[in-house]
Amino acid sequence: MNLEFESIFDRAEGRYLKAEELNTLTLYVESLPERLDAYKRLRDHEIEVLQSVADQIQVDLPNASIEDLERAIKNLLVVLRYCAMAMLLNDEVFLRERLLGWLEEVNRAFNLRPINEALYGLLSQGLKQELSPPQFALLCPYVTLAQASLVGSA
Amino acid sequence: MISVADLLKNDRVPGNYFAPATYVRGDLELGILENRRGDRLLALPETLIRSIYTGLEKETGQATRLVLFNCGRWWGKNFYSRFCEEVSEYYDTPVSEMEMVLFLQCLRECWVAHGLGKLDLDQSFQHRGFLVVTISHSPFVAQVKDSQRPACFLEAGVLSSFFTQLSGRELHCVQTSCESLGASTNHFILGLETRLAAVEELLEEGLDHDSILARLCP
Repeated sequence: MNLEFESIFDRAEGRYLKAEELNTLTLYVESLPERLDAYKRLRDHEIEVLQSVADQIQVDLPNASIEDLERAIKNLLVVLRYCAMAMLLNDEVFLRERLLGWLEEVNRAFNLRPINEALYGLLSQGLKQELSPPQFALLCPYVTLAQASLVGSA
Repeated sequence: MISVADLLKNDRVPGNYFAPATYVRGDLELGILENRRGDRLLALPETLIRSIYTGLEKETGQATRLVLFNCGRWWGKNFYSRFCEEVSEYYDTPVSEMEMVLFLQCLRECWVAHGLGKLDLDQSFQHRGFLVVTISHSPFVAQVKDSQRPACFLEAGVLSSFFTQLSGRELHCVQTSCESLGASTNHFILGLETRLAAVEELLEEGLDHDSILARLCP
């Protein structure tokens, strides 16, 4: 569970939630329909979005090996799925602890950073086109987090 | 042409199998700790570990190292087969066809998920026939008191047996630095037993890990 919620529920042991605590929950609940819509949209259009990323990356990086590109795109797929879930849960720890630490090592070992740099640019463009602005705004922090960890780390 | 749809196997892309949040489960009422496949896990209290070390030292003295090393070998043998079974099942690939990077990354994560510390591999001496492994925050060595020499015999046994099975060659393992002696991490050198024979003597002479490695790979 989202750490903030967890700590709100823990603190409220034996008392009612305070106004600001309820407010945090309300904000999340109100954002949930949009999150669900964004999630479903991603689920249904994942292949299209990533296929156009895959087509473009082969044009942009003609010298990269297909093997490396496929590996990086496969990692991008799993990142996008975890980002979608993290957005639904409003929980960046979910993304960071379950996936990013692990992927960072794999990326480093295969030296996928230059490919990732290009891939994340293309992914952002694709997502912007696919999602509505509020949906993109909900997803964006997670993609940025993944990007920072997989492109930002040497 | 890269087809994204073809990259998906059964509409699934595997992530980190050993992510602790999903790997370790428990039922407090039943007093059960298990992994995500439902295999039982065992929690070892520090007192037990300390008692095993102290008891062995009292009962067997010098032989303690050998006893622990052999226990580690036995553990490593089973650990290797369980590990391969879990990993190949989850990643839907036989271990023999798995990329080494992924395999070793799984080993690192597995080590952490089991609370055995942080394991790392240095393959830069592989062409000379040696593999260097480091383990930081070993829960075993934390219980060792008044050691005069590296004390992770259990882990050395596990590593020797794990990598013997992985490489198909009988590999020995010697620890060359130890947290119990104030080092920042525990270093292990793996290689053929004949080639590691000198390490024991160098340790007796009081050489540190880097100097020993420099002697082995001049």
